[in-house]
Formats: sequence, C-alpha cells, structure tokens
Amino acid sequence: MSPVPAAALLASLAAVALIADRAWVVASIAAALLLLCLKAPRGRRWVYLVGTLGSALSVFLLSPLVSHTGTHVIWEGPKIPVIGYLDVTFEEIATAGIQALRLAAVGLAFAAYALLLDLDRLLQAAGFARRSVLAAGLATRLVPTLERDAAGFVEALRGRGVRVEGARGRARLLSPLLAGSLERALNLAEAMEARGFGRAGRTRAPSPPWTRLDRTALAAAAVLVVGAIWL
Amino acid sequence: MAVAEVSGLTFRYPGATSPALSDVSLRVEPGEVVAVLGPSGSGKSTLLRALAGLVPHFHGGRFEGSVVIAGKDTRRFRPADLAGDVATLFQDPEDQVVFGRVENEVAFGLENIGTPPGQIWPRTHAALAEAGAERLAERRTETLSAGELQRVCLAAVLALEPTLLLLDEPTSQLDPEGAEQILDLACELGAAVLVSEQRPALPLGRCDRVLFVTDGRIEIDATRDEALDRLPTEYLPRDAHRLPVDSASGEGDVLARLADVTFAYDSRTVLEGTSLTLRRGEVVALTGPNGVGKTTLAKIAAGLLEPKSGSVERRGRCCYLSQDPGRYLVKDRAEDEAALAVGGDKDRASRALAEVGLAGFEDRHPRDVSSGERERLALASVLVADPDVLILDEPTRGVDPPRKVELAAQLRRDANRRATLVVTHDLVFAGDVADRGIALKTKERAHA
Repeated sequence: MSPVPAAALLASLAAVALIADRAWVVASIAAALLLLCLKAPRGRRWVYLVGTLGSALSVFLLSPLVSHTGTHVIWEGPKIPVIGYLDVTFEEIATAGIQALRLAAVGLAFAAYALLLDLDRLLQAAGFARRSVLAAGLATRLVPTLERDAAGFVEALRGRGVRVEGARGRARLLSPLLAGSLERALNLAEAMEARGFGRAGRTRAPSPPWTRLDRTALAAAAVLVVGAIWL
Repeated sequence: MAVAEVSGLTFRYPGATSPALSDVSLRVEPGEVVAVLGPSGSGKSTLLRALAGLVPHFHGGRFEGSVVIAGKDTRRFRPADLAGDVATLFQDPEDQVVFGRVENEVAFGLENIGTPPGQIWPRTHAALAEAGAERLAERRTETLSAGELQRVCLAAVLALEPTLLLLDEPTSQLDPEGAEQILDLACELGAAVLVSEQRPALPLGRCDRVLFVTDGRIEIDATRDEALDRLPTEYLPRDAHRLPVDSASGEGDVLARLADVTFAYDSRTVLEGTSLTLRRGEVVALTGPNGVGKTTLAKIAAGLLEPKSGSVERRGRCCYLSQDPGRYLVKDRAEDEAALAVGGDKDRASRALAEVGLAGFEDRHPRDVSSGERERLALASVLVADPDVLILDEPTRGVDPPRKVELAAQLRRDANRRATLVVTHDLVFAGDVADRGIALKTKERAHA
C-alpha cells in the first residue's frame, strides 16, 4: 500500500479511538494496531511498544487514584494532602480503562507509522511544506540514531571499565548525546547543502500511481472518521 | 577551461588564531586525478570544502582570494548552486544520509539540482549500478554496513555527473579491497578528482598529480613521479611486512583465550567456531574484510559481548578502544575524560595525555580538539588504566602516516607490559606493529 493512504488510515483509526465511546471499539482498534506493530523487526519495535503500553498501563493504574467520580466504591484509601481521598470507584476504573485503551491506540498508530511506513515516499508525496516534512522525517530517524549513540557511549565506557548503572548514570549521558546530535546535525546540513538542498528549481522523482487498494484505504479512512462522528 | 581555479586563497575559521589555508593557488584540469596528502589538521579538508563552496558559505570565517569552479566564483555562488558541477563524498557516510531508503537517497541530489523527473530514476539506478550497489536499491539505509553505505554515498555523487569530484578520506572505514574499488570507480568516472587520504598508497597508485599540504600551505604540487621523490618517507607507498599467522604458542602468560566461539546478530551468524589466544608481550593484528566479524571478536575478547557458544577466559584488566573516537567525549575536560577509567586520578590522566602527545590539553573541551587529537584522547582514555589486555579497534582510522608510525612505536614500546590486539584494515600498520596476524575470512573458521 502507498504510504499516503496508509498514513491516512492510521490517522483515522487514531481519530476513531479518540472519538468512540464504546470500549470494545477502542479495544478492537488497539488490538488490531498491536498486531500490525508486531510485524516490525523485533529490534526496532520494542521501544515503541514498551513506551506505549507502559504509558497506557500507568494511566490505567494512576488515574482512578487521582480522579473523584462515581458512587460504587471498590476500595477506600487514606486521605492524601492536595489529592484528597484515594478512593477507587467502579466508574473510575471503567473511565481509566477506556482512556488507557485510547492512549494505547493512538500510541500504537504512531508506532505503526514510524515502524512500518516508508517515510521517504510519504515525503515524496507531500506537494507542500516539503522542508517541514523533511525535517519531520529526519526527526523520526533521530530516535534510532540517538539509541545507537547512547549504546556506543555505554559500550565505550564499559570498555574502559566504567559501569553505567541506574537512571542517574544514564542521565549523565544526556549532555554528550545532545552535543553529539548537534554535531551530527551540522555535518548532515553541510552534506545536504553540498548536494544542492535549498537550490531553486527543485524537481520531484515521479511516484508510482495509486492502486485500487490505495484508493479503497483512503475511502475507508474517510468513512471511519465520518462514521465515528455520526454514530 | 580549468575545472577549478584557486588564486591566493587564505582562509581563517571564525575565532581561529591562525589561518587554515594560506595563500593557496592551484588549477585543476578536466579529468585530472589529484592526491591531496598531508598531516591531520594541515588544511586538506578545508581546501576541499573551499572547492565545494562550503568554505566560507557554510562555515563562515575570513576568506581572501578566489575559487572559481566551472566558471562560477564561489564568493557569488552558494554550495547548493555549485552542486552538479562539483560533488563531495565526505569521510563518515552516516553523517551524509538523509533518507531511509537507498534509491531515495541517491535521487535526493538529482531532485535538488532540478533534473527532469523522467530522468531521475534511470540516473539513480545507473549510478547505483556503477557503484556496485544496484542490489541495495530497495534496502533501508540503517541496515547497511559501513562499506555498503559508502558505496551508496558514492552512487549519490556519481548520479550528479559532476565535472569535479571531491573525496575527503572516503575509504577510512573500508577494507583494502573495498577502498580500492571505491577509488577505482571514482577515478574512472572521467571527472577531475581530488582525493584526500590517510592511506597514501591508495591515491598514489591512481593519481596524475600530488598536492602535499602542511600548515595550510601547498608544500608540494607535482606530478606523481616527481612527488614520490619529494614526499616525506612516511607517505611513500611500501609493502606491508608479512606477519606469521600461526604462532600462538608464545612464551608469555595467556591473558585471554577464546575457544570455539560462535556469535550471531539476530539470524546472521558472524563467528562460528572461532578461537583466539592473547599472551603477555605480544601484539596481534586482526585483519579481514568488512563485516567478517573482527569487531565482534574483539568485543567478545573484551567482555563487551557474550558469545552464543564457546568459552572465554580473561586474566587481569582489559580495556577496549572503540573505532569511533566520538565515543570518548563524555566529560567537559580532556583530563576528566582520561581520568574516568582510573576513578578520577588526575595525575595518571595527565601522564596518559602526555604519553600520547596531548600535554597541555588538560583543560580543553574534548569536542574542541581536532579529529586527530580526538583519536589521541580516546587512546589516552584507555591507556591510562595500564590494562593487561589492550584491544584497539581501528586505531588508525583518520590518522595521518607520521602519527601511525608514532602509534606503532608506542604500542611496541609497551608491548611487554600487556597483551595487545589491534583490529585494523591498514595492513602496513599491522605489519609495523604486530608480532603475528589473524586474518578472519568470511564464514570460515579462524584459529590462532
């Protein structure tokens, strides 16, 4: 499938997950997107999956403790300054569940976009704001580069017999990582300018024509969003 | 008409106390292949950047004189406007890649210079075929090896069909065979080529003319034959000393022993039944083509990777020098960086810096030194620990020939204190420094 209809379909699924108020609809979308993400290489997908599912789990566990809705109390906790009573109600759990599913669905839609779509072709398809789209594409690629740089710093430290342990040890690498990214960005900018980036009269390599599947996917994306709003 | 004409070029980077180039004049004719040699920091890269218009447009600084490329004065034309007439292949391919897919990467320059859309894909695929990278067209750039990525970057510049091709140490990450292929391809293009290299034998075997740059000045501008009589001896091509390959039965204590080691990245097996023994007092050179598993074996020996099977024994402290000196830029002062491996002992750090010729650099920021000095700082950062087992991964990458001679002498001088394993593509350096060699071959068992 071409990247534009695929991106539209992912965006529509994320939108439906945000709009829909039936838990089974949101859960189905999240499950479908999870299955889709599992098609990505294991080495790349785990960061996205752990980040998304971890965030969703946090929302599910924490939001009942800080919200105060519902009348069917399941657990009565102590009174905490500022927050108040840590009561957990059935309604709070139901709300937390659907919010967690929504977050998971949106996160997984982004994960599928980053992991599975050909971002280059998406960029090629953009007929406007090409510089911004290019910047977005480069930013998406920054994550695995930073990951590799961080692993390189840790390995070089281990090679000197220096252990990097805990969040504090890793936090100390943030500054060199940032400095390294800036240096890399400068080198890349220089190489891009040497290859003519920014010159007037740019042309575009022709993209392959859309297939019936592409057109169907785009139509399905529109139907999904309209359907979710209407229903 | 000359492809490039430089007249009285003097250039000083912003904030620099001395000029990077001083009164440089030269003329490059169509189809000429020119080797640009000289020590690290002598101004070779700055000269190439001036020819691409990147100096002064990208870097700023004070620029005097003129550079004219294919009739375009670089003071009036930006680097992007010169693209197509001139193309540059930089040292580190990872810092040049914009796109995630190979064919899009190659097409990027063609789109920028306004190539008619109907010609973009045919020229892209022709350039990939020319660079021997046609089979990579659909691959993701992040999945390529250093050698493959450098071929893709070469294809990206070949696609532009430039009249002047600038190669700034383009083969530093490649094995000798890969490096020769890249240079052969570039030199057969028909464009004028300026190639800067730290393995001088590579360009000297292919060039018509040699520029030797020191302290920002062109000291030698001569035909290859004339230059061979005038170049410093370290820059002259010479055959590597042949190393014995099967003398693991030395006399020193065994400090590291790997037996029948197997390792795989996901489903790709890179080592299978590989063995290695390192003894105190010996320097061992580990060579072989890109992707054969040299670095993996070195990391297993250093304890940074665990093998899937086989056994590893080590005695004493082991230190590993990564092939990227950029990994040794964690602290804000050079002395603190060097002291990391010895629990912050600044006296030892200061001595280690002096040993590699960086006395007086204690307060400098590690990112504020030249690439050659970064390499020395990285070396000091592991030597400071005085390890029993020292493993150096490509320690001569980007290092100039005189410094390679110094490094070999330094490693030989301290050889009796430890076991040393040097992973390298530089066979001349390997011959100078090592007592014996191990040549890893693709999917073969290596025993040494």
